[in-house]
Amino acid sequence: MQTARPGSTIALRLAAIVVGLGALLAIVFLLSKNGQVSTQLFNGLVLGAFYAIVALGLSLIMNLTGTINMAHGSFMTLSGYLAFAMVSRGTNFWFALIVAPLMTVIVGVLVERTLIRPLYQKEPIYSLLLTFGLSLMAEEIYHIIWGANGVPFSPPPSLAGTVGLGFMSFPAFRLFIALVLLLMIAAIALFLTRTRFGLRLRAAVQDSEMIAALGTNTQVLYMVNFALGIFLAGVAGVLAAGLLGLNPTSGNTLLMPAFVTVIIGGMGSLFGSIVGGVLVGLATSLTTLWIPAASEVAMYALMAIVLTIRPRGLFGEEGLFG
Amino acid sequence: MSSALLEVENLNTNYGKISILRDVSLTVGAGEVVALLGLNGAGKTTTLRSILGLTPPRSGSIRFEGQEVAGRAPYQIARLGVGYVPEGRRMFKDLTTIENLQLAENGRAGEWTIARVLEHLPKLAELRNRKAGRLSGGEQEMLAIGRALVSNPRLLLVDEPSQGLGPLIVEEVYKILGELKAHGVAILLVEQNALLALKIADRAYVLDCCKLVYSGSAADLRADRERVRTLMGLTEVTV
Ligand SMILES: Nc1ncnc2c1ncn2[C@@H]1O[C@H](COP(=O)(O)OP(=O)(O)O)[C@@H](O)[C@H]1O
Ligand SMILES: [Mg+2]
Repeated sequence: MQTARPGSTIALRLAAIVVGLGALLAIVFLLSKNGQVSTQLFNGLVLGAFYAIVALGLSLIMNLTGTINMAHGSFMTLSGYLAFAMVSRGTNFWFALIVAPLMTVIVGVLVERTLIRPLYQKEPIYSLLLTFGLSLMAEEIYHIIWGANGVPFSPPPSLAGTVGLGFMSFPAFRLFIALVLLLMIAAIALFLTRTRFGLRLRAAVQDSEMIAALGTNTQVLYMVNFALGIFLAGVAGVLAAGLLGLNPTSGNTLLMPAFVTVIIGGMGSLFGSIVGGVLVGLATSLTTLWIPAASEVAMYALMAIVLTIRPRGLFGEEGLFG
Repeated sequence: MSSALLEVENLNTNYGKISILRDVSLTVGAGEVVALLGLNGAGKTTTLRSILGLTPPRSGSIRFEGQEVAGRAPYQIARLGVGYVPEGRRMFKDLTTIENLQLAENGRAGEWTIARVLEHLPKLAELRNRKAGRLSGGEQEMLAIGRALVSNPRLLLVDEPSQGLGPLIVEEVYKILGELKAHGVAILLVEQNALLALKIADRAYVLDCCKLVYSGSAADLRADRERVRTLMGLTEVTV
C-alpha cells in the first residue's frame, strides 16, 4: 500500500485527486435529475473543505511537534470575532478576511512561544491539557466580550446571490469559500514542496534533531509551522463565521469533525487530511439528505469503517496506530 | 596557548543520573585527523553529541576556534563550522539526494557548494533525484558526508562511517575521508574498527567506560597491536 509521501508527489497526487473528484462530481451532477442531491453534494464538498483546512492545520502542528492543539477551534472563533469586530465598524470584508487571520496568528505565536514551547520536551499529554484549558478560557473570554448568543456576520453583498454554472446554480458565497479553501490547500502544498523552508519543515517532521545538527534553528521552524496552522484556522474561521454562524463555541464545533478527519486520513499525512476532510463532509451532508437524524454520527460510522479495514487510516504512517 | 581548532576540557556528560563521560579532555588541531576509539558503549557517540550540543554536557569547557560553545544550541555550533556525520547516517529517507544536500545549506560561505560536493562525489550526482531511503548503505554514507560538507565545516565529527558496510565500500569511504584531510578539513573520527581509523589518523584517544585510557600518536598505537588488543578487545582488531 502507498503511504503519504511528502515531496513533489504530494502536489501530483493532490492534482490527481482534485481532477478525479471533480470529474466524478461533474458526472454525478449531470446525471442526477434530483437538484437536492446535487445541492447536498456541493454543500458536502464545502463542508469537507472546511474540515480539510482545519485538519491540515492540526496535522501540521501535530506532525512536527507532537502537539495536539485542542485550542485550534478557539483560534478559528477568535479570527471570526475579529473579522466581525472589523466589519461591524465599517471595515471592508476583504480586508478583514486577510487581517483577522493575521491578528489571530500573532496571538497564536505568542501562545506558542510562551506556553506551548516549554512543553515540547514533555509527553504530548501536557500540551494537550494546556491547549484544552486555553480553549475553555477562550470560550469564556469570547462570552464576556461578545455575549453568549451568536452575532450576525454575513458575507458582503458582492458574494450574495447565486452563480449559474450551466447545469445548476450555486450560492456565490459557498462557491467563493470552496475556491479560497482550495487555493489555500494548493498554496500550502507548494510551500512545503517548493521552498527551502518547506523542505526543512518536512525534514524536521522526520528528524528534527538532525535538522538542528545541520545548522537550522528548529525553534523558528516550530514557530512558523504553528503560525501556518493558525493562519489556516484563521481564514477558515472568518469564512465559517459567514456561513455557519458565530458564537463562543462555533469554532469548536468544527474541531471534532477535524480530528475525525485526521484519523480517517491517517495520522502523519497531510494528504490524508485533505482526502479525509472531503469524505467526512460528503458523508455528513449526504446522510442529512436521506437520514437527517443520523447526520451527526455519519462521520463516526465512517471512521469506524475505515479503522476496521485500515487501522492506521487511509494514508497514515505505519506503526502510529497499528 | 590555544592553537587547537577544538579544545575539550574536563567534559562531564550524563544521561539522566548516569554519568557517561568523566573528565574527558581532548583536542583537534586545524586540519588534523583524530581517532576516538573504544568499545561499544564506551561513550564515543556521547562525546560527539556533547561537542555539538545535542546532549549538552553537565560541566566542562568546549572551545571551538577559541570560542566557548558549551551550552549553545546545536544549530549555532553547527554554523560555526562543525559538520556532523552521525552514526547510522540518519538520512531524510523521503527526500531526494539533492534535497538532503540542500538541507545543510545554512549560509556558511566557503568552497563547498552543492555543485562542488557533487563534483567531488560523482556518485551522488548520478543519484541526485533518488530518494535517500532507496540508496545503498555506502551511498548513504557518502551522502551523509556530502551533506556535512555543504555547510563548509572546519571540523567534521564522523561517527562510525564503516558501520554495516562491505570492505570495498569502506575503503571508498575512507578514501573520501583521506581526501578531505588533504583538503585541510579536520576530522574527529569515531570508529570501533580501530586499525582502520588509525590508518588515516594523526593522533588517537581511547575511551573506556567514561574515561580516556589512551592519548597519543596514532602510528604508535597502530604499531603496538598488543596494546590495541588490550585496550579494545580482540574482536575489534581487523584489517
Ligand atoms: N539516550 C540515552 N539515554 C541513556 N543512556 C544512553 C543514551 N545513549 C547512550 N546511552 C548510554 O551511554 C553509554 C555510552 O553510549 P555511546 O556514547 O552511544 O557509546 P558508543 O558510541 O561508544 O558506543 C552507553 O552505556 C549507553 O547505554
Ligand atoms: Mg556510538
